[in-house]
Amino acid sequence: MCRTSASLGSVRRSLSRSSAAALAGAVRGALGPRGGRALLLRPTGEAMPTRDGRRLLEALSVEPPAARVMAARACSHRAATGDGAKSFVVLLAAVLRGLRAAGGGAGLRRALRDFEAQVLERAAARGLRRHLRPAPPGSLEPLLEPYLAGRLGPGERRRLARLCAEMCRRCAPADATRPQVLRLLGRRFPELHAAVPGLPLASSRVLPGIVLRRDFAAYCPTDGELRALLVTQPLRPALTAPGVEFVVDSEGQYLASLRWITKRTEALMKHLQSNSVKLLLSSVKQEDVVIYYAKLYGVSVVECLSSEEMALISEVTGVSPYVPFGDDMDREITETAVVTFCQPLLLVSKRCVHIGFASVCAFQPHCLILCGPVDGVNEQHAAALQEAFTMLQQLFKTVDQRGEWKVEGESQSKASDVCSWHSSATQKQLVIENTCNTNQVSECQLKALSDETERKVFDPDKCDLLVHNQKNHSTSVLVAHNADIVTACEGLNVGKGLEETCCHVVPFKPEESRASIAQDYSNCLIEAGSVLPVGGYFEILLHYYIQDYAKQCQQSEVTIVSNVVADALLSIPKALYQTERDGFTKFYLEAINLLKKNQPLPVNNEGLESVYCKYQLVISVLHCVTELLSIDLVISIRRPLQKFEDRDSEDDT
Amino acid sequence: MSRLEAKKPPLFISEPLTRDAVSQSLSLLSGILKSSYGPAGRLKQLHNGVGGCVCTTSQSSALLGHLCLSQPVLHVLTASVRNHVSRFSDCGLFTAILCCGFIENFRSLNVAPFTVIKISKHLLSLCMDHLKSEACGCQVSVDFSSVETLVCLVRSILTSKPACMLNKTEVDHLTSLVLKAFIFTVPCHVETNAVLGKCVVIPVKGGRVVDSTVLPGLLIEAPEIQLGKPLAVKRTGSNMIKIALFSVSMSGDGSNPEEGTIVVRHGVSLEVSELNQLLNVGKQLVKDEVGLVVCQKVMHPSLKQYLKEQGVVAVDRAGLSLMDPLGRVTGSQPIASIHSLPPGCYGSLKDLCVESFASKHFLHLIPGDTVICSLILCNRSETAWDELKRVCETAEHVLQHKVRKIVPASTLRDLGCSQTQYRLVAEGFCRSLESVARSLSHDGEEVLTDVVYGHCWFVPPRSPCVSRWSDLVSKCGCGVSGSTEDLSWSFLQGQSGSPVLQACPQEPSVKVADLRVLDCFAAKCSGLQVALETANLILDLSYIIEDQN
Repeated sequence: MCRTSASLGSVRRSLSRSSAAALAGAVRGALGPRGGRALLLRPTGEAMPTRDGRRLLEALSVEPPAARVMAARACSHRAATGDGAKSFVVLLAAVLRGLRAAGGGAGLRRALRDFEAQVLERAAARGLRRHLRPAPPGSLEPLLEPYLAGRLGPGERRRLARLCAEMCRRCAPADATRPQVLRLLGRRFPELHAAVPGLPLASSRVLPGIVLRRDFAAYCPTDGELRALLVTQPLRPALTAPGVEFVVDSEGQYLASLRWITKRTEALMKHLQSNSVKLLLSSVKQEDVVIYYAKLYGVSVVECLSSEEMALISEVTGVSPYVPFGDDMDREITETAVVTFCQPLLLVSKRCVHIGFASVCAFQPHCLILCGPVDGVNEQHAAALQEAFTMLQQLFKTVDQRGEWKVEGESQSKASDVCSWHSSATQKQLVIENTCNTNQVSECQLKALSDETERKVFDPDKCDLLVHNQKNHSTSVLVAHNADIVTACEGLNVGKGLEETCCHVVPFKPEESRASIAQDYSNCLIEAGSVLPVGGYFEILLHYYIQDYAKQCQQSEVTIVSNVVADALLSIPKALYQTERDGFTKFYLEAINLLKKNQPLPVNNEGLESVYCKYQLVISVLHCVTELLSIDLVISIRRPLQKFEDRDSEDDT
Repeated sequence: MSRLEAKKPPLFISEPLTRDAVSQSLSLLSGILKSSYGPAGRLKQLHNGVGGCVCTTSQSSALLGHLCLSQPVLHVLTASVRNHVSRFSDCGLFTAILCCGFIENFRSLNVAPFTVIKISKHLLSLCMDHLKSEACGCQVSVDFSSVETLVCLVRSILTSKPACMLNKTEVDHLTSLVLKAFIFTVPCHVETNAVLGKCVVIPVKGGRVVDSTVLPGLLIEAPEIQLGKPLAVKRTGSNMIKIALFSVSMSGDGSNPEEGTIVVRHGVSLEVSELNQLLNVGKQLVKDEVGLVVCQKVMHPSLKQYLKEQGVVAVDRAGLSLMDPLGRVTGSQPIASIHSLPPGCYGSLKDLCVESFASKHFLHLIPGDTVICSLILCNRSETAWDELKRVCETAEHVLQHKVRKIVPASTLRDLGCSQTQYRLVAEGFCRSLESVARSLSHDGEEVLTDVVYGHCWFVPPRSPCVSRWSDLVSKCGCGVSGSTEDLSWSFLQGQSGSPVLQACPQEPSVKVADLRVLDCFAAKCSGLQVALETANLILDLSYIIEDQN
């Protein structure tokens, strides 16, 4: 039985109306470096402070199906890149709002796909790319601090960024092995840190080796290097096994069997001792007899290790678990791990096991002792760090081109490139003449565009639409921030002052980069390791270049979509600067003016962010929008749906 | 079939700190804690209204553990303080009051939380630098060659909890016991890795406090031992007593850890065979001249009887918690198998005797040289005993913990500032610290501070307003400074911008033994940091999402 809930038109309205805006409103308070924390109260009474977009979205447990889809897409984007669940929702809401204002319709949906190939990729490759710079080698703090600022309180981010960078440095002393080690850190972080509640954050530190959060079952102190054995089964031989019957014929036989078991256990320990194995790491609980003989023969025992801990130790040492049974007790044990030290460690009042392993892979084992006043804070910190490792991995990825615009032919692209360069030069002049009047600027730009694109078929409707849209855009920016032209000019002056005081400048070499674009015709849009300063620079740049390239576009609908997306991109810097009065207007005008003058953007000292993550965010949002717009019917059913395994569902642990 | 209930939507509360309910709860909590603080603190009676026992206490661990708080924000605060207490056993009330103070003071500032947190974090780092520097006048180093400072430290912990209902003789008696117990746990022969021993607290309810005592070695409760009969224990050639320690069950009930099935032929009894094996073990023990057998679990009566007949003292049901100290006292491994007794598995004792405290009989194991001791703690009522036990454990923990550095309570003051916000936050910071110092006084005493050392001075209430405070005060709150010179006192009530404080005189005018209150420095520093971090966490909350299912 099924019941269609509404007609086609109302479906689309309900999809894009309030859900996205409501979600965005809920996460906006936690967005950016000045965002606040939310306290999640679980039904069990636990209180968990968080700023993680994913957790927030989950805690909101939204009802409408469209909102559920949005939350799910935001979470899966976050799981893939380690960043951007909150920005995703804010950007999505802005795009949907813009599309609705533009009238919606199937044409726009198609145009969304064309926009990605025709405008977005060009804007990234020809515009954005010139501003990118490589990540500073060796130092991760400039990337980590702004990232953590988005998910931790103001008092904690610096300390944690240092800890995280120290951890990366010590686990991967060689830069070349870093991507590999970051993958391992991201995957195994739950086993590579120990949380200590009741101590201030300042007491946190990075320790060499691995801390296992349980006490030794048997501890025999030794000095220097020793060998360790991994075990996954009980070492005491069993009298019977499940499904096996042991027939007792006489009391003597029974006693003899028990005695044999004891002797056999003792012999095994003797064998370990003769092979100079001094540490047993067991995933199962061993019998008292085993522990007893281990103590007698100077073998330390740690038991009940989780499968994740066993896997980590196997990965680090390259050793697989030992199978003890077999009649050949004289055989030498070869599969042993080299342990550099093995000692008890007191964390609060809990005794833990602290082991140093000699690594066979690039990862040099280190672990993080994470201190905080309450467990919830430690959980928040640990989650932020684990995602930071995922985020850092993205630094080594590239964005490849998907659209077919380059396949058209090299010479043509080259030509268009040069052409676009000239056009921007003309614009530059125009801009200088009309610095203060943004309305005029957009009209001038339009004229420039119309002059340049003579080949294009010009129909008056389309032109009108373009003009209308451009005006719309400029006014929307100004109205939203209560700034008339006079204040805009003031803002500009302030901006110039800032520029003078700022000593850091993005390396910006138009001639060279133009040449490199012309020559370097690989499929790569954004190179690995590209970064930009934080604070909305990515959004402003993309906003500017999308608008720039949209003008060359022939399809009117693509142009509409371009403008919608370009405007929507500004919603993120708007949210970032929401606490400062006129902060966004100042920032916007200053940046746009510098871009028009083809000057490099000023750089703040607040840190850097990975362009790959940011670009991926835009792509994911566009895909989500396309998906939402393609839904024509919401069907309510009675039976619960079988849950699909999301990519991020495993991430929950 | 289980009933399916529709999921309730979560409750979304924005700006939780601006709500009246939160500030009321906060000030109530802070009032409760402040009135319990310090040696003159008032007691609180906790009961649940439907019966059961009543807890009389002024300790943070008991108070915060039992209070039911309606506001989730305060759960964060109490959880944080309880974590601190579980780590340091000291300065719980200090941390909690300070944290409440920070929240109340910073919230009223009308400065964005983001800015407050940044500035306060900076102030904290200044404080920590000052406290850790040599110039800090708050620290008194402990001279381990004289017990006087240690006595003072223990006494200030014991007297800070009035719910123990101790009079002066009792405090002195307990102080010496706790200290004795601590000294027992310090190893005599220091190797590279000296490990402190353990003090086992044995409760004896119904006795007098002055009957409490501390004994080297261990006490095992042995109800079957008859008092008065001299204990005849077999000794070895070197006049030591051999002891066998079993961690495996000796009950002979054939408990089997196997997962499969065991098929027993008719006429074969596994129990008999196990008992035979146990008796074999008994014979072996007798042959090996063992004088005492202790079993963690149950021992078969026949085996017990056999050992008794052979003049071997047998004790069972010792329990897991005693096994580790027993192993350390006797120097033996608990034996985990009844099928083989390796030659080196026995331990030894110097002597064994029977002790009795208030109708309870104990076997006293006296080792040759040990770091394990037993503290027999007597008190009349159960409630008072619980409080006393907590206090004694605290004292012991503090002594073990960080005895190198201690700080007199109530001498934490901070620095001045420049810009408006910075000044506002700094003032709030100082006010919070001062309010903790002020809450040491409960009888309406005026609290003064001097500008030279920054110590606290108490003046009886309604004192005549005199020009020379030195006529009224004789000694500061902690007893480090005497009123020998004019220190220009002023009331402690929230004026900030105090001048830079000097270090205390190198030679204190009074003997260290006369000091009144000392706190553990490490606990105090950590408490200060935890209080600020928790307050910042709470201030940073912009909304609460409550799952209502």
